[in-house]
Amino acid sequence: MSLERPDTTDDAAIERSPDELEALLGNLVVKRDDHLNAPGFVIRPDTVQETLSILKEQAGYDHLSLVSAQEYESRYESIYHLKKFDDPTQEVSVVVPADKDDPVSESAEPVFRTADWHEREAYDLIGIEYDDHPDLRRILLPETWQGHPMSMDYDRDRPQIATLPKHANPLQEHYKDSESDTMFLNIGPHHPATHGVLHLKTVLDGEQVVDVEPDIGYLHRCEEQMAQSGTYRHQIMPYPDRWDYISAGLLNEWAYARAAEDLADIEVPEYAQVIRTMGAEMCRIAAHMLALATFALDVNGDFTATFMYAINDRERVQDLLEDLTGQRLMFNYFRLGGVVWDLPEPREEFFSKTRDFLDQLPGSVEEYHDLVTSNEIFQMRTIDTGILPPEVAKNYGATGPVARGSGVDYDLRRDDPYGYYDELDWDVVTEEGCDNFSRLLVRMREVEESAKIIEQCVDLLEDWPEDERNIQANVPRTLRPDDDAEIYRAVEGAKGELGIYIRSDGTDKPARFKIRSPCFSNLQTLPEMANGEYIPDVIAALGSLDIVLGEVDR
Amino acid sequence: MGTAPAQLFPEFLVETFGLPGVLGEVVAALIAAAVVGNIVLAFTGVAGPWAKRKITAAFTDRIAVNRVGPFGLLIIPAAAVQLLAKELIVPEGVDRPTWDIAPVILPASALLGFSVIPMGRLGPINFQLADPEVGFALVFAFASIASVSLVMAGYASNNKYSLLGGLRAVAQNLAYEIPLIVTAMSVVIFAGTLQMSGIVGAQTTTLVTIAGIDIPAWYAFVNPFAFVLFVTANMAEVGRNPFDIPEAPTEIVAGYQTEYSSAYFVLFYLGEFVHIFLGGAILAVTFLGGASGPGPESIGFIWFVVKIWGFFLFTQWARSAMPRVRIDQLIEIGWKGMLVLSFANLVLTAVIVGVIA
Amino acid sequence: MIGLMKSMATTMKHALDGKTFTVEYPEDAPEVSPRFRGVHKFSQERCIWCRQCENVCPNDTIQIVQDDQRNGEQYNLHIGQCIYCRLCEEVCPVDAILLTQNFEFTADTKDDFVFNKEQLKNVPWYKGIDPLESRNPDRSAWIGEGDGEIDYQ
Repeated sequence: MSLERPDTTDDAAIERSPDELEALLGNLVVKRDDHLNAPGFVIRPDTVQETLSILKEQAGYDHLSLVSAQEYESRYESIYHLKKFDDPTQEVSVVVPADKDDPVSESAEPVFRTADWHEREAYDLIGIEYDDHPDLRRILLPETWQGHPMSMDYDRDRPQIATLPKHANPLQEHYKDSESDTMFLNIGPHHPATHGVLHLKTVLDGEQVVDVEPDIGYLHRCEEQMAQSGTYRHQIMPYPDRWDYISAGLLNEWAYARAAEDLADIEVPEYAQVIRTMGAEMCRIAAHMLALATFALDVNGDFTATFMYAINDRERVQDLLEDLTGQRLMFNYFRLGGVVWDLPEPREEFFSKTRDFLDQLPGSVEEYHDLVTSNEIFQMRTIDTGILPPEVAKNYGATGPVARGSGVDYDLRRDDPYGYYDELDWDVVTEEGCDNFSRLLVRMREVEESAKIIEQCVDLLEDWPEDERNIQANVPRTLRPDDDAEIYRAVEGAKGELGIYIRSDGTDKPARFKIRSPCFSNLQTLPEMANGEYIPDVIAALGSLDIVLGEVDR
Repeated sequence: MGTAPAQLFPEFLVETFGLPGVLGEVVAALIAAAVVGNIVLAFTGVAGPWAKRKITAAFTDRIAVNRVGPFGLLIIPAAAVQLLAKELIVPEGVDRPTWDIAPVILPASALLGFSVIPMGRLGPINFQLADPEVGFALVFAFASIASVSLVMAGYASNNKYSLLGGLRAVAQNLAYEIPLIVTAMSVVIFAGTLQMSGIVGAQTTTLVTIAGIDIPAWYAFVNPFAFVLFVTANMAEVGRNPFDIPEAPTEIVAGYQTEYSSAYFVLFYLGEFVHIFLGGAILAVTFLGGASGPGPESIGFIWFVVKIWGFFLFTQWARSAMPRVRIDQLIEIGWKGMLVLSFANLVLTAVIVGVIA
Repeated sequence: MIGLMKSMATTMKHALDGKTFTVEYPEDAPEVSPRFRGVHKFSQERCIWCRQCENVCPNDTIQIVQDDQRNGEQYNLHIGQCIYCRLCEEVCPVDAILLTQNFEFTADTKDDFVFNKEQLKNVPWYKGIDPLESRNPDRSAWIGEGDGEIDYQ
């Protein structure tokens, strides 16, 4: 009856059907609770580690994409969304209910390091406690916050009283090691190089970093709750622009559009898919230009010319996006079912502007190679610093250029295709270096790949027959997906895998809207990269991770 | 090997105004020092708010500083008023006299260094305040007082970022002082004297004549290897890219300057520029023939100014293009690379001079 | 060393070629695209008080007050709170609320940014461009020729 197979690595690559998985897990499964994107297995809250390690080692699900938590009338629930790095279309969800009065379940941290921060966030916002978690404390909200904001019994009108002792510095801690004289340094939240309001609690031994701990939450706006109070059809769409706010707006909007369209079973016309692809790749170029610019700023110092040249290039892309969408940063261009506007009239002018931009892009990239990558001092600074081995990257759930810079060949545009990507001719860029330099190279080469994609899209759009230009499918004014439908969909955002989990309850607003932010998981790898290195290397590693606090904190 | 020293500025004043006796010499010396100091500070004032921004803007495809005054020059008084009008914040727990003295020492040490530099003639005036026989060693001694100031600022500020900056400053200065001086010593072997005017004078002979143009015997042409070494070590001395580690704005906020505001910050900021000009002046005297250039000797000062501004421009250019090295790499380069090369250069120069002369 | 030389040469080339990217605002007014989303302009003549804009606004920025006969009394829009998503213009069936290309608006306090009907009506076009015209150039092709200006009714 049980399909017990011996532990071989070939097992991991086999695609198992849901019933085979159920058989593999045996009596760990309490019942089935399938989601729209994956089979779901409900298990008991004290069997989490066992189930996940079977799925990881025997069935090959080595990517813990998201840990989402929610509260129902009768219970709490954590869902572990698993995928495979080699084939992200194979997904499985592990649903862990917890008691309503005393929500405790076992932590998945020993199996997947990704779960460390994700479970801390679930504890912080929802209130589920995780046994066996190494360090369960609040991550996004201050330590002294009372209550769990996204749980059902949270009183939003009650003021928060932060009890801090008078005149004491709440951030000051003393680390006195008897052997070595280490010094505790707060890097940030006010710092020129932390890419936003990020607080790094650093313990230094001279100039070497002994321990670095990111302290996030300074930009937490509870975007998930804001999305839960807006209608699917119109009101949620302006918000994804504000997650990764550095020019990757259309990529974020696509994450939401993909999830909601698959939830409500809306099909996007092909013409709109091509426009979406073109806009998204322009955003990716802009986002990577800024990543390059700020990385050069961190390594070169304040007066570097590379920063301004990259900003100039980004400005050109933003001009194109302004012509297309109407705004330079907060686009609000996608709608469920397509895009809101066709290409601007006259079309030839838009095409010629785009082609001019694409023509001068190789020259700019060449210039950046002269300024940055072939500069010996830059190479001295970034090669062999901030090392992230691929297995560690996978264990932490790092995706995007961070993972591809460590040789992990994972790109959702190719592996889990959406839009028009599978019809176009482009390559995924990976580098084997695992250090800061290779992450930078990945980003610079991805800019060239995006330019290829945009060029092909422009050619397609130019020749598209005039009467087949559907920019939006027929979507009702008020969209009410089926009750109790759950879906998790991800796209390749500028920083990595940006996923959204939506549960609908039959109304026109989502019942649960959970955002899987790539920077959140990427930032978790910083201690791995930085311990044992010097302060300048920590800053460079942080720059090469390219985090955006809007996405880390949401 | 050395010409008769020209008339010094104080002596010129004594003669022109007929100031009697020792008191007259003292007064003349004070007036001369004030004039030279003001000239240097005027350069600094133009360089800081105006020239640096214009140059950075040129490198970054921007237009800068063109709103107030012709060519935007009125930004200099505007910046002065703005910086001095700020509140002087004294953080709690700073080590009081040390913290206050540190920003004064930085520009003072550089200005002291200018006292022995032969800056050339402008008409009848020869802009040199003093010409002691050990002038060359004196100027390096004055320039290295700057590291004391950085350490004082870093330690007294009661701030971990400042401490890190101060420590880095010490490490950097120690690592580069020796290659700097050893390379400069190789020049002394050529010139045969430590007197500043003697070194300048030794470079006035013609090295070679190409196509009718006399190439003077500037030590930059005679020993270009030492020139490159000296420029590199000089950049490390003054704390400019790729060696701007004590300040490192993107790593340790502002290093030793973090806790300073208003007048003290102005002193640090301008003091840094005075040091850059001093570095340029030493470079000009040692390797670029001081005030010599085409044309009559009576406009030599103009050429000197051109040379020190050229060095300033070079540091700005390096700042826009080059990344910063890490502190351990910097010390490695200093002690393992530059020291060895400068000693090799010294030995080679000594051998060659001994063989030829 | 070669890499360093190349870096320095690149920046010097940029310095010497004299091209600048700066737009000298406010002397040179920047070009904005026809689709640019700036301050709103409201036309009471066209508004049918259907309240769709108030309903769709993600931010609750629009406030409409009607009396018992459902006549429109107040139309308040906080242009400081608005996120300029343009959803109100999109759902309006009669083009009563438009986002012009005007980005030049200032106030002394945040409360001055709450515009009522009158203020929204008087928002100037940026460089005199009517955004609906610029987005659809043949929109008014059917309007016959006549004397006087076309009144934005």
